[in-house]
Amino acid sequence: MIVELIAVGLVVSACLAVYLDEAVYSVASLACVFVLMAILYALSDATFVAVFQLAVGAGTLAVLFLAGEMLSEKPSREKSFRNMFLVAVVALLLLLPSVFLSVAVTPANVSSSVSFGQAIWDLRAIDVVLQGLVIMTVAIGIAIVLFERKEGKS
Amino acid sequence: MDYIILSVTLLAIGIYGLLTKRQLVKVLISIELIAMAASMNFVLLASSLDRALGETFLILAFSTDTCVTAIVLGLLVIVSKKYGTCDIRKLAEIEQTEKGVYEENKS
Repeated sequence: MIVELIAVGLVVSACLAVYLDEAVYSVASLACVFVLMAILYALSDATFVAVFQLAVGAGTLAVLFLAGEMLSEKPSREKSFRNMFLVAVVALLLLLPSVFLSVAVTPANVSSSVSFGQAIWDLRAIDVVLQGLVIMTVAIGIAIVLFERKEGKS
Repeated sequence: MDYIILSVTLLAIGIYGLLTKRQLVKVLISIELIAMAASMNFVLLASSLDRALGETFLILAFSTDTCVTAIVLGLLVIVSKKYGTCDIRKLAEIEQTEKGVYEENKS
């Protein structure tokens, strides 16, 4: 029952994130999606991923809040509550297949004796190091792009 | 509760936003939703099958997703400062106008 309620919140928040014109409200809905997704992961015994989702989500949402407030234009007209209610109803209708239908998943014949620590450090260690390198490169690149713009302006 | 259909639903919402919204911030939010729908499959299937490798892949996917968001936001700031708008249609119009001016100057 809890999972179904979370799924309802997830789909309604996702619909509102796409539907709402005001960027700040839209990002707030996206924050709800992030938090509900993290709760869903935690309930599925993927605690590390839930914590990671919250940590990454906090950073992404903070930046998106700033960007949404700074860059978006104000909408020409306000959305009415009636339309928002309709969006929520559509979201609930979209959720019905995932509650009542099911897709059979056949497990692949792979050994499942690998723990999370082994998987990340023994099997994917090079990927983890490379992703750190990629993130660092992106951070430096963006800092350089924005810094050069500032210099050119002055 | 079927997680695959739930993730397809989220994917559909993201694709709808990607195709219909004109503001670049909203397009970015739609891309976030699509990435989240894709990564949800990894975690929930991995945890239901008791395989840790799927969770590891998700952590790698998150990092890539964050990099994409950072790059798009950087480009968005530059576009917004240069053209004064983040509306896709207005940007297309500006590009057409600039192209026309360039062609006139060339001829």
